[in-house]
Amino acid sequence: MVSGLSSERQPGKLRYTDENMSSRIRVFDSSVGSKLLIGLTGLALFLYLITHIAGNALIFLGADTFNTYAHTLTSNPLIPIIELGLVLVFLTHIFKTVQMFVRNKAARPVAYAVKKPAGTPSRKTLASSTMIVSGLWLLLFVVLHVQAFKYGLEYEAASGVRDLYRIEMETFASPLTVAFYVVSMLLVGSHLWHGASSALQSLGLDHPSWTPRILAAGKIAAVAIAGGFVVIALWAHVTGGAR
Amino acid sequence: MSSSKLDAKVPGGPIADKWDRHKFEMKLVNPANKRKYTVIVVGTGLAGGSAAASLGELGYNVLNFCIQDSPRRAHSIAAQGGINAAKNYQNDGDSVYRLFYDTVKGGDYRSREANVYRLAQLSVNIIDQCVAQGVPFAREYGGLLDNRSFGGAQVSRTFYARGQTGQQLLLGAYQSLMRQVHQGAVRMFARREMLDLVIVDGKARGIIVRNLITGAIERYAADAVILATGGYGTVYYLSTNAVNSNVTAAWRAHKRGALFANPCYTQIHPTCIPVSGDHQSKLTLMSESLRNDGRVWVPKKQGDKRPPEQIPEEDRDYYLERKYPSFGNLVPRDVASRNAKQACDDGRGVGDSGLAVYLDFKDAIARVGPETIKAKYGNLFQMYAKITDDDPYAVPMRIYPAIHYTMGGLWVDYNLMSNVPGLHVLGEANFSDHGANRLGASALMQGLCDGYFVIPYTIGHYLASTALPKVTTDHDAFGEAADNVQQRINQLLAVKGSRGIREIHRELGRIMWDDVGMARSAQSLTRALARIPALRDEFWHDVSVPGSPDNLNQSLEYAGRVADYLEFAELLALDALQRSESCGGHFREESQTPDGEALRDDDNFSYVAAWEFQGVGRAPALHKEALVFDEVHPTQRSYK
Amino acid sequence: MRLNLKIWRQAGPDGAGKLVDYAADHVSPDMSFLEMLDVINERLVKQGEDAISFDSDCREGICGMCSLVINGVPHGPDRGTTVCQLHMRRFKDGETVTIEPWRARAFPVVKDLVVDRSAFDRIIAAGGYVSINVGGAPDGNAIPVSKQVAEQAMDSAACIGCGACVAACKNASAHLFMSAKIAQLSVLPQGQVERTTRVVAMIAQADADGFGSCSNEGECEAVCPKEIPISNIARMSREFTRAVFAGK
Repeated sequence: MVSGLSSERQPGKLRYTDENMSSRIRVFDSSVGSKLLIGLTGLALFLYLITHIAGNALIFLGADTFNTYAHTLTSNPLIPIIELGLVLVFLTHIFKTVQMFVRNKAARPVAYAVKKPAGTPSRKTLASSTMIVSGLWLLLFVVLHVQAFKYGLEYEAASGVRDLYRIEMETFASPLTVAFYVVSMLLVGSHLWHGASSALQSLGLDHPSWTPRILAAGKIAAVAIAGGFVVIALWAHVTGGAR
Repeated sequence: MSSSKLDAKVPGGPIADKWDRHKFEMKLVNPANKRKYTVIVVGTGLAGGSAAASLGELGYNVLNFCIQDSPRRAHSIAAQGGINAAKNYQNDGDSVYRLFYDTVKGGDYRSREANVYRLAQLSVNIIDQCVAQGVPFAREYGGLLDNRSFGGAQVSRTFYARGQTGQQLLLGAYQSLMRQVHQGAVRMFARREMLDLVIVDGKARGIIVRNLITGAIERYAADAVILATGGYGTVYYLSTNAVNSNVTAAWRAHKRGALFANPCYTQIHPTCIPVSGDHQSKLTLMSESLRNDGRVWVPKKQGDKRPPEQIPEEDRDYYLERKYPSFGNLVPRDVASRNAKQACDDGRGVGDSGLAVYLDFKDAIARVGPETIKAKYGNLFQMYAKITDDDPYAVPMRIYPAIHYTMGGLWVDYNLMSNVPGLHVLGEANFSDHGANRLGASALMQGLCDGYFVIPYTIGHYLASTALPKVTTDHDAFGEAADNVQQRINQLLAVKGSRGIREIHRELGRIMWDDVGMARSAQSLTRALARIPALRDEFWHDVSVPGSPDNLNQSLEYAGRVADYLEFAELLALDALQRSESCGGHFREESQTPDGEALRDDDNFSYVAAWEFQGVGRAPALHKEALVFDEVHPTQRSYK
Repeated sequence: MRLNLKIWRQAGPDGAGKLVDYAADHVSPDMSFLEMLDVINERLVKQGEDAISFDSDCREGICGMCSLVINGVPHGPDRGTTVCQLHMRRFKDGETVTIEPWRARAFPVVKDLVVDRSAFDRIIAAGGYVSINVGGAPDGNAIPVSKQVAEQAMDSAACIGCGACVAACKNASAHLFMSAKIAQLSVLPQGQVERTTRVVAMIAQADADGFGSCSNEGECEAVCPKEIPISNIARMSREFTRAVFAGK
């Protein structure tokens, strides 16, 4: 605690002090620790998305390849553990971002009458300003998505494995579903547009010559991932899998 | 000749041993007893901030005050060039003695030798201290500290942190101060303005401040009071000082009996950006280093209003190069400033106002290329372009002198204590080290020297050798002083006239600049001495101070400072009138060599003029401290 | 030129404020923004009306005292410029200009455009220094510091503590401010001893004072009058991580 400063207000109460910093929970309660955790979990989710889009792209190789891949993946005994980890990462990301959002809002109780973006070299974009919106939408999306594909219909393919290919084709037959998916994937892209490079900045991975490349790479990855999912959904809708 | 009021208490012995001997002879305060002593420090600049931090470290109970919202904003922060120290890291012949010699000579033989020697001695410790604090001084490729030459010195002894040396040194002191605040040794009172000194049984025992946020008149008692409240340059309205810089704390102490020494010693800096209109609130200084490559000129013909690029070489007067062939554009500050004024008085000034001369980089750019010039002066050129909207790479800069620093201040003895026991004065607020003219890069040195290395010893001596019965703020003296402060505030608010405070301040500034500025004469000073009291009367009859006394009221703050300036200005002019010699920054037209250079009169004026307040509008009493030069023998300066 | 000003007036910390219209006539393009306000204030003073309170001191861009949000941008439209160095030639005749104070929970409004920034002092007091007393310092050249490190430290140390970073940030975060000091002291050899405790203590204090966290948008960098980059914030993350692993 700082004493003796002439502020007319009492200094705020400390959420933690030097003495109990050994507790990792407290560490991650701090503004910087929160960023670290959000960056770390965000980066994990980003990596997950890369494997996800890579796996989904196998759909272009036909039903058998795709179904075999899906079966191999889900029958791996490690998968439940990985899934549990993924859920934890996901929940942590949501919890910390929402908590940070609420605290950040409280940090400016009176809004400006006029507020404008400051311009170069700011990284502020529509995407960066709407992370909480895109994020919460994606939470809703993920719930519906997992329900549809992981706990959805159980068709059996000729080879005896689950016919995920058919589930996908049937799901994307509906224009409404495709529209929902496309919108959601655009929001994934928006979230990653800021989030991918932001995660690295949060983790302190900054370098005079590498940072501009990281910023560009984050945007390319955002477009590639979101675009990939959109293409698959549209392709499934248009072709219905018939070749 | 010396007055009995003025015992400088300079220790005996050879000059090089005085401080060491004095340190041994001074009494010490037992470590366990330090906490029992409370010391008030007013000001948080280099002098005040370093003093408060150091005294906190020693264990004293320190109360530190500043008018800004944070101690980090004191105007020391604006010093650009650097800080001198006799480290001799460059192996170029520097020494403590040389820095001492240069400072006494640069001060035109009007400073106290013993104080200056101590300053030169301690300069080396300042650098060590600041480096240890993490001040990012410029370094050479090998990792050692870099130096540059500055202000015409023949050795490279100036340490610097880009063009922000003052800022970095101040932040070093501020951080040390904040550490003491954190530890509870120093209590920080920001946005408090000292409005009176409280004297109990002849000793300084406290201050009265106005809480600038709530308007409350607060009382603080202590065993000793330290003023580090800076200079009085803004008596000229336009100066390079901050707009809130003021003489109020020093002046109110003066009114309580502290002697004010050499107020006429003011320094004018030759390379400032000229005034552009009545609205102007301050002048911006550009580093003197510009004169290394820029050539100063005005048109030969009066009233030649052609744009500079259309004036051919044969119609230009490079007057510094013409008059001072060996120093040329690098003559000292006072000489360069006076010559610029002369050219403008001749009707050869340039720009819309006619109050500017050209500083031309055309030849330098042609010689070394624009890239080299950009590397050396890029930030200054950018600042100039931002303020004036001119491109100095294409057209010559316009420059004009401005008030920059004040060498005069409250009189102090060798221990930096005023004639009022317990009242100590540090930094620009005292008069002690720079004589009649300050050398470049020496202000930072003095502020930190006083705060880090002198006051921690001398205040201990005062406390240990003085009987200080406990005094609380209930004492009658506090009540009287608080009433005095309250009354003056009420008076200011009661005038309810029609004139703006700024308007009157601007008018005062014009009187001071015209009649008590770069060149003074008995005639101009007598005129000023008539005009100032008249303006003061007008202020008290017709000023408008709106708002209430019980919350943040910047008009009220400003009016109080201007009111004090209207009293102080008279003392400044009076001091300038009595000193009919020219010396350093004080130039009397009656006292010049046939070539128009400043002519000292050592037989009659080798003294410190210390003035004792006798009442507003009443002639102050003059006390003289004779200056004795055992080491450096006065000679006439020449830059031909 | 003539401008229509909308200036935030608020009587005190607890009062409600509002934007009040003022006309600024005969504005010279050579005036600084604050001089333009001086002229309006002089008019108000002569009329016996309460002048508009705003902070300023050095008026040459180094003290960090001036603090206005002009048309939604702290310190106004020029990059790398404090309000006191912003000139009226930057505005158009007839333009409407909105002037507001810094807005943050940690910077409560004192009056009109003046805010309380003592929270910054508390952050520095929590650890933004090297704990050495006067007297024991070794010779200035005892520890060589490479020119590159000294320059890097100076880049961060250039911060003037004005608070524009907080004012611009949508989260009212002090991360740029404190990271600049943390970065300066963590690259210099003098700052090593307290490297871990410093970062932890300063962050704790900023959090306690109610500043927000950082979303890596970099609005702070864009308004910083000294153009201090957010690479300092990345460094603060590294320093914090390092401190966590050091068990501090």
